[in-house]
Amino acid sequence: MKKLKIIAGISWAFIALILIIILFPGLNSFSVSVSKLPFMKINPRYTGGVVANQMITENCTLDIRKPVFDGLFRERNSGFVQIDWRGSMPENIKDSIDYDQDGNKDFYISVNRKASKTELVPLNEKVRNVVISTPTSYGWSARIGLLK
Amino acid sequence: MDNSLKIATMKKSFGISLLYTVPMFLITFMFMTGGRPNFSDPSSALAVMSAFILVNILYFLMHYTGKTDKYRAVLFIIFALSLSFTLIRNMVAMRNSMSFSEADILECKIPFCHLVIPMMILPAAFTKSIIFPGSIIGGFANISSMVVLWLVATIVLGRGFCSWGCFYGGWDDGFSRMKKKPAIKKISGLWKWMPFAVLIMVALTAALTLMPTYCAWLCPFKAVTEFEQVTSVESAAKAGVFLTLFGGLVVVLPVMTRKRTQCSFLCPLGAVNTLSNKITPFTLKIDKNACSECYKCVEVCPLYAITREDIKSGNVSLFCSKCGKCVDACNKNAIHYGIKGIPPGTMKNFSRNLFLFVSFLFMAVFSAGSIISTLQNLLKLIF
Repeated sequence: MKKLKIIAGISWAFIALILIIILFPGLNSFSVSVSKLPFMKINPRYTGGVVANQMITENCTLDIRKPVFDGLFRERNSGFVQIDWRGSMPENIKDSIDYDQDGNKDFYISVNRKASKTELVPLNEKVRNVVISTPTSYGWSARIGLLK
Repeated sequence: MDNSLKIATMKKSFGISLLYTVPMFLITFMFMTGGRPNFSDPSSALAVMSAFILVNILYFLMHYTGKTDKYRAVLFIIFALSLSFTLIRNMVAMRNSMSFSEADILECKIPFCHLVIPMMILPAAFTKSIIFPGSIIGGFANISSMVVLWLVATIVLGRGFCSWGCFYGGWDDGFSRMKKKPAIKKISGLWKWMPFAVLIMVALTAALTLMPTYCAWLCPFKAVTEFEQVTSVESAAKAGVFLTLFGGLVVVLPVMTRKRTQCSFLCPLGAVNTLSNKITPFTLKIDKNACSECYKCVEVCPLYAITREDIKSGNVSLFCSKCGKCVDACNKNAIHYGIKGIPPGTMKNFSRNLFLFVSFLFMAVFSAGSIISTLQNLLKLIF
């Protein structure tokens, strides 16, 4: 039994040695495998959710994302909808948004990019406030707080 | 006379030490140069060669002198400093600032670090997603690579990751060595359970808020990496908290106590790694026949991992990070690196050689990128 324990211990230590030796040369392929695991995707609270509707104009694209209400076990009562303007935009952005695609405008948003000022006019009682409004590498993004 | 003979047991002759260094020399050469050293850019070649020589000299000295912690700490501290330097330099080059903005979060551009891992687990299980605004694969410090690196290192080294792989640990390790004698000698060992409380708290709050709460509110190392732009009362409060924790637990207390207080009293990943000490093949063993119960090991342990009771029972606790400080301090060679299954007091050299190769190789290769990058930048500044 004592000998068996020694052999098991030394074998495990040599497996550890092999693991460390192959770790760095194999890091890229191990990482790719790990990235394919079902839970390896960024939570919508960070990505802003999937794009639900896209409006393309001459110079600019407006992405309206799916509202995010994610919680640990179930959806929460409050969340947000993210809208992204991409491309070359005018200094003052003005848009009316129908985030739930029911045919009715839910809020009106205007952004003064130079002054970093955002105004929100809710047209739907579920629309609450501007959570984030910021310049991004691709244009401008805003998150509007919502009630479910 | 008897003592000096025992001290010499871990020392090796110059030739034998050199022989032990050859595998490390070859493997680090392959990893650092890709097998083809490029001398077309002199500053880059000089940086690679300097890092390569540094790690191999340190490894050689570990064998030649028989001391572990003394040379481990050199590379460990250089790793921490160079990683912070590289990270801050990248941030300043990209954003002109150490702080990140709301846009960086929205675009998921935040570099990932291993301290997030304990907070990821519950949300990953329930929401099948990662609650961190970083990149899953590709780019600097992506989530997949960091998870793989941490997972393998923690299986192989257990809490040894905290002394051989964690690029933050070098900060409090460095500060804990600044004074020769501690100004504060008595801190209750019960505090070492605090990281478990922090772990439970941050794991639950992160799950409930779907936000990495430790990173957002507590992590002291934001002071030497990156932090949220101060734009509101909340972000100012967060900055106040992390600066206070950095000043208190990473600088002042380590200097005063000669202990790694952040690692001992706060780090939630340290708590996870403590548990992983159960599965690693490497451990520290106490040879009760050789032990004179001088308790020097208890005194020098930077993580409160050994108590007098542990010495009497002949077992080192799970809190051990295998830094080797106690091994260096023991002039009877009674506390030594071991492999699970092998009885204490036997195969000491074999166990130490194998552990040193595995742990040092991990640290040398893991740290190489940031050390080389830092040296390159310093050389560019000088010339």
